[in-house]
Amino acid sequence: MKYTLQVLNELERDGVLDRYAIGGAMGATFYVEPLLTFDLDVFVVLSQTGGGLLSLAPLYEALRTRGYAEEGECVLIEGVPVQFLPAYNALLEEALREARDTSYEETPTRVVRAEHLIAICLQTGRDKDRERVRIFREQAELDLSYLADVLQRHGLEGKWKQWTP
Amino acid sequence: MDTLKPEIARLFDAKEARRHKLAALPFPEKVRAVVRLQEMAAPVLRARGRIVRVWNLDDRVA
Repeated sequence: MKYTLQVLNELERDGVLDRYAIGGAMGATFYVEPLLTFDLDVFVVLSQTGGGLLSLAPLYEALRTRGYAEEGECVLIEGVPVQFLPAYNALLEEALREARDTSYEETPTRVVRAEHLIAICLQTGRDKDRERVRIFREQAELDLSYLADVLQRHGLEGKWKQWTP
Repeated sequence: MDTLKPEIARLFDAKEARRHKLAALPFPEKVRAVVRLQEMAAPVLRARGRIVRVWNLDDRVA
């Protein structure tokens, strides 16, 4: 996976994307027990195109020129299927802005904070998100005051109360 | 509600403790554990017709 992350770092350095952070099940795995997944979900802030539209097309094109092919919803980068998810709302933009810097086998990278991953689960609202919130509460070291602020800012307190009786 | 027999409760406690131990592993070790989970799950999922790929962590591909 370090080679995958090196490619993501190159894309950021070259300005193909403004910022990225690992999310989804692999982001969760950073904080809790290993969770089965076959995709590396990567949230991205894309560089603004001339017309102001946010499109994954330039990113996919840059990856194609580097020899990485699309595979369904993902792009296979150095043996790992990566699914790019553009920051499409205020919560994701904030999650990316405040993602924590870390490293994987000496390769610098970024992971979405646990509190934002919880908020994203609440917003997405599927059964598996509910299960993930349960696992986070059980295993992750959470900053509860930070979490409360995130939930309040993004109108997710009701859902939190509903899911955590 | 029925209460758990002490030996069963101990088993559940041990499972819980193992989960916390796994959660505390360094990230690269957890990623390797995810790949082992993929190796176990992939044959079952493929038999159900799902296309899945086990990650290649170590070799540079492109």
